[in-house]
Amino acid sequence: MASEEGQVISCHTVEAWTQQLEKGNQNKKLIVVDFTASWCGPCRFIAPLLAELARTYTNATFLKVDVDELKTVAQDWAVEAMPTFVIIKEGTIVDRVVGAKKDELQQAIAKHAATASA
Amino acid sequence: MAVSGFEGFEKRLELHFFSDDPSIFQLGLRMIDFESIQQVLEAVQCTVVSAVGNSYFDAYVLSESSLFVYPTKIIIKTCGTTQLLKSIHPMIHFAHLLGLTLCSCRYTRGSFIFPKAQPFPHTSFKDEVAYLEDTIPSNLCYRKGSIMPSKSSSHCWHVFTANDGSHSRSHSHMPYDNDIFTMEICMTELDPILARKFFRRADDGKTGDSAGKEMTELTGINEINPQALICDFAFDPCGYSMNGMDGDWYSTIHVTPEEGFSYASFECVGSINDDIVHVLRKVVQIFRPGTMSISTTWNEVCNNEVWKQMASAVEPLGLKCRSCAMDQFPAAGDVVFQTFTARRKSA
Repeated sequence: MASEEGQVISCHTVEAWTQQLEKGNQNKKLIVVDFTASWCGPCRFIAPLLAELARTYTNATFLKVDVDELKTVAQDWAVEAMPTFVIIKEGTIVDRVVGAKKDELQQAIAKHAATASA
Repeated sequence: MAVSGFEGFEKRLELHFFSDDPSIFQLGLRMIDFESIQQVLEAVQCTVVSAVGNSYFDAYVLSESSLFVYPTKIIIKTCGTTQLLKSIHPMIHFAHLLGLTLCSCRYTRGSFIFPKAQPFPHTSFKDEVAYLEDTIPSNLCYRKGSIMPSKSSSHCWHVFTANDGSHSRSHSHMPYDNDIFTMEICMTELDPILARKFFRRADDGKTGDSAGKEMTELTGINEINPQALICDFAFDPCGYSMNGMDGDWYSTIHVTPEEGFSYASFECVGSINDDIVHVLRKVVQIFRPGTMSISTTWNEVCNNEVWKQMASAVEPLGLKCRSCAMDQFPAAGDVVFQTFTARRKSA
């Protein structure tokens, strides 16, 4: 657990994904999911920022889902453009950022992280 | 007219690549790492502000306009005093590392508002063509540079194409389609009230992303193609850029709203099966330009009916067609350049 703090955790199986979601929801932690693809240039553009945000917001869980690897998850979450960031709090989607929009992503995480710790 | 201001008119470069190994086509240029893309943009002197990708292509909003990366095609469009043609060398280099070779190059632009502010090689079309001739590999042997006129000497369309004559179509990732065209619209003397919508309010507390989204909705840009996914950005204190993605088709809008040198551009890929009348009318209603040019590029022989349709789409909105020029480019299709002026300013 401690080793995962401050990291972006890659979910390579549907089981791992479900488990991480449940864990985050139980702990009432803010979850930030990055739906990404290996062939997506904009995903590579924003990856360093996401890693930095994961180091900053250690109270939040940062998950990464490759849309080719977990196709059904991407479909269920209606991901059509990459990257898509979904912010979840206690099982509810509270924000969605489509595209590598640095300021918008930072602002969304800051907003929800503030209310989560309050 | 201001003595000097921001140059809205973009330079546009489209490069096509091929490989003898078909497995490379699937991802191709999209595999270029971001550091390399940054190097290309550094040569041009601009940066990425926002980006998004779908299963067909990546679209980047730049500090000066837009970049689109397809597996075998790249389109860079930059405004201001950027040095767009300097991207050709690094692009050829990075594509080569992936096993891709340049087979087609198309460079287009309108007439700059502030031509004297442009750095080399954009100092004149002659300089640009000389630079292109020197930079492009010799296998692209079918070449032509042309200045397409209008009735007004200040509005011309500059086109340079170079092609190897064989690979550009057969290796395209998209099925070759005679009905598809690229439409580049340049508008000046925007309606001042409409142009105000592209200014940010001081201390609005918004990010460039969220202010951009607001402008997209407030101006009706989201209604041009309601199906498109839009990646938008509002600059501070004014100016706006957006890229639209609809399957493998892109669209893009850039706005420089300052009075005296106001400018907006709209570009998209279209098909004769589209509702081109709706798109054109929407664009005209959003900006109400005093002057507008539409240049349409066809893969092969152009369809006369469509550009006539374009003119009749905008004429009821008070824009009168003042000129129409056509030119053919070896192995690179036809270009039709039409200009319009608002009747209200005809005096």
